[in-house]
Amino acid sequence: MIDSGHIGFTTQPSTIAVDPWRVQLFCQAIGEADPIYRDESAARDAGHPACPVPPTFLRAIEADHCSAAEILKILGIPVASVLHAEQSFEYHAPVHVGDRIEVTRTLTDSYDKRDGALTFIVLDSHFRREGETVCDSRQIIVVRNPKE
Amino acid sequence: MIAPRPQRIELECGPVSALDLALYAAASGDHNPLHLDADVARAAGFERPVVHGMLTMAFCGRLLTSHFGVAALRSLSVRFLGAATRGDRIVLRGTVTGVDKEGVVTYELAGHNDAGKELVAGSARVSAPTHKAAR
Repeated sequence: MIDSGHIGFTTQPSTIAVDPWRVQLFCQAIGEADPIYRDESAARDAGHPACPVPPTFLRAIEADHCSAAEILKILGIPVASVLHAEQSFEYHAPVHVGDRIEVTRTLTDSYDKRDGALTFIVLDSHFRREGETVCDSRQIIVVRNPKE
Repeated sequence: MIAPRPQRIELECGPVSALDLALYAAASGDHNPLHLDADVARAAGFERPVVHGMLTMAFCGRLLTSHFGVAALRSLSVRFLGAATRGDRIVLRGTVTGVDKEGVVTYELAGHNDAGKELVAGSARVSAPTHKAAR
């Protein structure tokens, strides 16, 4: 069980630029070879205004802002005791290389299961560009609590 | 004539190499040694370093973008059920479960490694096909 006083904790917003080199590295890591993510003319030919980013790329921006590991440190939970249980993204507008994305994260909820053996932590992230929400994402972490 | 969204889609990724895991750690900012260090992985009960769950989810993203383009994706959601380890091939499958009034198609997603172990289950919503949609 985490201290309920942490529920509602929200990070200070920070703004992170979508760096072309980072997107290229991300694509290399995930085996994404489509040139639209690195070649602006290929992106334009495919109907994009600029190079888009892969669907889960915003996690990299989120880690630059405030990683789950940093939030766990605030909660006093060792990283080795946690697993990533669920992840979701709702896309509202496409994000492109060169965009400046404002990020905040909120610890929305936490609840125990199996008589306290497992604690779930729900983290919501909001991604905005010039005030417009481009994506909402949710990460659910499960903490395996030590036996009493 | 616009082709309808296919009932079933599939993509095979990997085998996931040590280099893939190192690149993903650098690209994503997730430097947990469970994904990089064989000793740490063994101490945690895994024979080999564990594939980042988010790398498997990125492969789910590729399953969808390779068929529909990145601009068509409305949502993507997964539950992590099991861990793949270095050297695994990962197979992602999507099956249509519904279409709403606006033509947005919902796919149920499932991912397995080559030993048949369940890795992820989830869903995604994909916009209706249009003539001018970005790829």
